[in-house]
Amino acid sequence: MIPFVLAGLAALLAWVAPGLMARRKGFRRAPRSALVAWQAVSLGGVLAALAAAPAALPLLLDGEDPMQHLGLLLPAVLFSIAIVVRLLYAAHHVGIRLRRVRADHRQLVDIIAQHDERMRILQHPTPTAYCIPGRRSRVVLTQGVLDALPPDQLAAVVAHEEAHLRGRHDLLLEFFTVLHRAVPEPLRSAAALSEVRLLVEALADRAAVRRSGEVATARALLTLAGSRTPEAALGVGTTAPVRLRLLADGPPHPVLPVIAYSYAVLAATLPLVLLAMAWR
Amino acid sequence: MPHSTSAPRLGDLERVVMEHLWEASTAGGVSFGGATVREVHDRFEGEREIAYTTVMTVLDRLAKKALVTRERDGRAWRYFPADTREALTARTMLRTLDDMDVTDRRAALLHFLDGATTDELADIKSALAQIEARAGSDSGSTVSTVSTGSTVSTARRTMIRRR
Repeated sequence: MIPFVLAGLAALLAWVAPGLMARRKGFRRAPRSALVAWQAVSLGGVLAALAAAPAALPLLLDGEDPMQHLGLLLPAVLFSIAIVVRLLYAAHHVGIRLRRVRADHRQLVDIIAQHDERMRILQHPTPTAYCIPGRRSRVVLTQGVLDALPPDQLAAVVAHEEAHLRGRHDLLLEFFTVLHRAVPEPLRSAAALSEVRLLVEALADRAAVRRSGEVATARALLTLAGSRTPEAALGVGTTAPVRLRLLADGPPHPVLPVIAYSYAVLAATLPLVLLAMAWR
Repeated sequence: MPHSTSAPRLGDLERVVMEHLWEASTAGGVSFGGATVREVHDRFEGEREIAYTTVMTVLDRLAKKALVTRERDGRAWRYFPADTREALTARTMLRTLDDMDVTDRRAALLHFLDGATTDELADIKSALAQIEARAGSDSGSTVSTVSTGSTVSTARRTMIRRR
């Protein structure tokens, strides 16, 4: 019985919860707790899927004829194995490609850009700023952004990028990308992945605000928003208006993080509780 | 692990060799006929201790990355920068902003902002106005605080701009 509950829970956490969570936009005002909730739900889904087979084992060891439980055991084992294989496959491919793209780009930037400690300045008029995450991280600015922004706004942008590096947001995004790819395509939630990306940006914006205040951060966002238009092929909006809105809306109601963290604890521990019950 | 040619040092050397090639190419002008390994190695005279074979390795790596091209001249190779620094920078910018597959780029590099559509600019401006109004109505100074630990000092920025 419990193996089926676990498989159902896995399906719920992997396919239903993300869609529902992506719609609860109020939690964007507490990005850190929201990200913890997203991680917990994803982790809980994986744990539930992996626990289906071990949960079926006690029936086998019951002493009775194990063959009568085959109808339960076999699908559970196959399900768990399939999940493991898909995860490992996705993790391998996503990981390899990301690291190669970053390494190639970093080597190129190291050669053609000016060095300023960990920062690299590209001699180009288009204002943009980004970071290359990883063990050998870089913050890359263009001459265009140095020219376009006054010191406090520039400091905000640099603080934002450094927050990404310090918080290893690249690993967080990689975790979600791997899970996204591991889920069969018709069941993926693009809304979930873009929601997580938005939360990561909102979190880094917090660091910018701590460094230079809301006005400077908002002005920097506006200046860079006007500097170039995104790919027409995208068709969807960018994160800029939402991030400005979040800055304008200010801090969240204190109950929001509490709800998010409680939900996170529930999502992560429920599969383990069920597994423990199966073995009692 | 040997100390002399560890990967980070080679990367640093690639940059220096590239700069030597750009300088030589600019100095030579239209008639620049490329530089041999020997000629590049000689430019390091007095600057730092570097083996001839190391220069050869670095130029080989740069050729593999399509940053330099080479032509045979008898028994030696003559090396040319594949393009000016400006052109390479422009190409890199295109790659980071437009060429890369969108999912790869967004995951690989974390941009401050992807840009905004013209429709969105109106939303953004009104949100900014709200933020400025709130900051202006707060009692006390309206000057935004800049922490003293700022990594980009104004002096350094001016220095960067002047180059």
